[in-house]
Amino acid sequence: MTDTPILELRHVSKSYGSVRALTDVSFQAFAGQIIGLVGDNGAGKSSMIKTISGVYTPDEGEILVDGTPRHWKSPHDAIEAGIETLYQDSGLAPDLTIGSNIFLGRELRRRNVLGRLGFLDQRSMETQAMEELEKVGISIGAAKRTVSELSGGQRQAVAIGRAAMWAKHVIILDEPTNHLGARQSIEVLKVMKAARDRGLCVLFISHTLPHVLEVTDRIIVLRLGRIVRDAPTSEFTVESLLGTITGLNQ
Amino acid sequence: MSSSEDLSASPPNLVTPVTEVPRWRALLTNQLTVLVFILIALMLFLGNHNSRFFTSSEMSFLLADFSGLVLVAVAETFVIISGGIDLSVGSVMAVAGVLAARAMQPLINSHTNEAVVLLLGTGVALLVGMVAGAINATLIVGFNVVPFVATLAMWYGGQGLALVWTGGQPYGLNPGAQTWSAATIPGLPFLSWLSLIVIGITVVLGLVLRKARYGRYTFAIGSNNFAARAAGIGVKKYVGSFYVLSGALAGLTGMFFDIRLGSGAPTTGQTTTLIAIAAVVIGGTSLFGGSGTFLGTVLGAAILIVVQDGAIFVNVSANWVPVVVASVVAVASIIQSGRLRLRRRS
Ligand SMILES: Nc1ncnc2c1ncn2[C@@H]1O[C@H](COP(=O)(O)OP(=O)(O)OP(=O)(O)O)[C@@H](O)[C@H]1O
Ligand SMILES: [Mg+2]
Repeated sequence: MTDTPILELRHVSKSYGSVRALTDVSFQAFAGQIIGLVGDNGAGKSSMIKTISGVYTPDEGEILVDGTPRHWKSPHDAIEAGIETLYQDSGLAPDLTIGSNIFLGRELRRRNVLGRLGFLDQRSMETQAMEELEKVGISIGAAKRTVSELSGGQRQAVAIGRAAMWAKHVIILDEPTNHLGARQSIEVLKVMKAARDRGLCVLFISHTLPHVLEVTDRIIVLRLGRIVRDAPTSEFTVESLLGTITGLNQ
Repeated sequence: MSSSEDLSASPPNLVTPVTEVPRWRALLTNQLTVLVFILIALMLFLGNHNSRFFTSSEMSFLLADFSGLVLVAVAETFVIISGGIDLSVGSVMAVAGVLAARAMQPLINSHTNEAVVLLLGTGVALLVGMVAGAINATLIVGFNVVPFVATLAMWYGGQGLALVWTGGQPYGLNPGAQTWSAATIPGLPFLSWLSLIVIGITVVLGLVLRKARYGRYTFAIGSNNFAARAAGIGVKKYVGSFYVLSGALAGLTGMFFDIRLGSGAPTTGQTTTLIAIAAVVIGGTSLFGGSGTFLGTVLGAAILIVVQDGAIFVNVSANWVPVVVASVVAVASIIQSGRLRLRRRS
């Protein structure tokens, strides 16, 4: 673990009109760590990760990547900086194929004049999508199937795979085990561990506390838009974590 | 615990593979195949009824009418797939046609080089169309006006401007325009140069929609606007460009009618918006965005033109033609909505 945090938030606040979603949020995240982010519904978890991923800009405070303050103008900037995000409210385009979704925003062009005119190399994208997904621990049947034909769990797997395969520094997973059965949830935990072992920083949001306790190195608890606890996972049990989340533990 | 060992111990299995539908079945149930059959059946029916239908003069007439529709229909396909709609195309055609004619008229009578006159007219029409499209885009992307309202306003305002700028009278362009529109490809008497150019542009647009990044983003934005943005796509820039593209093609179509009719008339394109959207819907593009095909739109446009022009061959009187066309649109939409519902349920 290096001394500079790969991702740092300093005094970040964010409101939607009159609704205050985040208040003075600060934390540091290091490479090779899985950090759990927990809190009740509406605690501000999704708002926080959307601020990190450039969907929203913070009203106050700043985001630092590898020690450098960054000001995202759009999600594009965060992606460029090596931060990949799986959104809770599906980040896939259902009418596109699996391969097209995996390469959305990073399309491969043909290696000829047509490519320079913007024409795509669909076949390469499809084969590479399969190969790269296998590498991060996800196998898909055929990349040319349309996402709308997949089950909820299969879609989730594609979205997780996309985030895992492109992430260079940070991978944010907002309730990745949604729609997944017990066995598939375990697979997702494996995908996360593999990402950590590759040296990535993983931000894991979940309401399934046993999963969070099993896989994370550190847990951040959000309540009503504020961080109320930030401690190594070993300091928590399911009961104490639940108490901190609900605010009964104080 | 070491996760890389866990991974090799049990092979990754997050998505179970599914067997694919055989190719021939996919082809038979494909809606494009259905549209091709309908088009062929319609033409055979009309030809059977009246031998004059398959003459090269009638075919060239059909092709010319098709050319006056297909560009705006294809542009509308981009817009609708992206999740929007452009109701203004008909009026933009009229305004662009009128202003292009106004620019060309003095030159025609002073016997300026034909190529110069044509280039000038095309340039003016294109520019006017793009300006109209850019105004739509600004309202929609810049001020968050819903596309329906923004382009409806442009449609209505455009009608007014076309009348204001002509005083209600068309700008005559003959004799120049007559010779240009009559010129055909040697050996293919039913294909005018004009139609060939239109078809060429259409094919390029079709390839872009299916094979290029621009087309991919059109689908992505209509399919899930948030996902497109989250993937780093400049959604606003692209959405704006769809309306500019639509305006540009409406402008070119305005120029097409200038040549075809030999005048720039304020009444051009009065029904075009409706017919173009109908062609897109018949072609199977979802008005909810995200799905649709270029070939579907082309076939939809062809079917509508054949019905519209063919009606007289089976002795439908001119006043009834819109009713016949409307019925075809209604029936086709019912079929398509049934198909879309089936698809969504599965
Ligand atoms: N787009 C939005 N517009 C207005 N308010 C919003 C928006 N998104 C979230 N909020 C509000 O911000 C607060 C935090 O919501 P957020 O989605 O971040 O919670 P969360 O912790 O992710 O909850 P969950 O566990 O249910 O996903 C809530 O009060 C919510 O109502
Ligand atoms: Mg959430």
